[in-house]
Amino acid sequence: MNKPQCQEALDLLDEYLRQELTPEHMARITDHFEKCRPCFSQAEFQRSYLLMIEAKAKGQCCPDALRRRVLEALRSRQH
Amino acid sequence: MSDADARRAAFEAEVLPQLDALYRLGLRLTTEPSRAEDLVQDTVLKAFRSWERFQPGTNIRSWLFTILRNTFINDYRRRQREPIPMDLESPESGLALRAASDEDPEGTFFSQIVDAKVLEAIDRLPEDFREVLVLSDVESLSYAEIADIMKVPVGTVKSRLFRARRQLQSALYDHAVEMGYLKPARARS
Repeated sequence: MNKPQCQEALDLLDEYLRQELTPEHMARITDHFEKCRPCFSQAEFQRSYLLMIEAKAKGQCCPDALRRRVLEALRSRQH
Repeated sequence: MSDADARRAAFEAEVLPQLDALYRLGLRLTTEPSRAEDLVQDTVLKAFRSWERFQPGTNIRSWLFTILRNTFINDYRRRQREPIPMDLESPESGLALRAASDEDPEGTFFSQIVDAKVLEAIDRLPEDFREVLVLSDVESLSYAEIADIMKVPVGTVKSRLFRARRQLQSALYDHAVEMGYLKPARARS
């Protein structure tokens, strides 16, 4: 796991998972994950974590009462 | 429509769609719904007063998050709170996580944990960690946007995020073992 390719893939894992790298760079890292089992596992672990967080923590919405309260405050006062 | 009405309409069109995200961040920072509601209302009214300072075309969410965060720090943070040491990472958290990725290399256990437990575990993180984790992993802001909101270098954002994830993932791993979603890793001889 001390190879430079491993280091690069793990350093850029966030950007890779968010697909923010250039297509060539994405392909190079995908290629590495196909060949390196420990790095592949780390990437899958992180991917599962990010999907979980988004699914479980992003569902909370602003309560309707608060929405109304904010609108009333905006519309009733001179700021 | 008067100028004041037009100004308010433009403001509402940009800001109202962000109320969910503002409430979520407010809730994670204050950890209490009633304080989160007050914080969101204060934030929106402050944003309205300084609406002329928002540059159209830039990220409205980052701008609002900055106002919310400053309002939180100035008016809402519990004053008696102890400062949090930045290096409280215990060696066990690293071990637990290594165990997690050994037992369940693809992290499938994450999906079994109920939403409320995940939120509770986030709320237990130290404030600096919690903030960066929510901005990055829940609200999907980039490192640069987070650095701008928190007024810290990008390197600090990355290192806090790394440690925040490690702590959160360890806590969720412990919970998964406790609930029997995962078998505890055996010590290897």
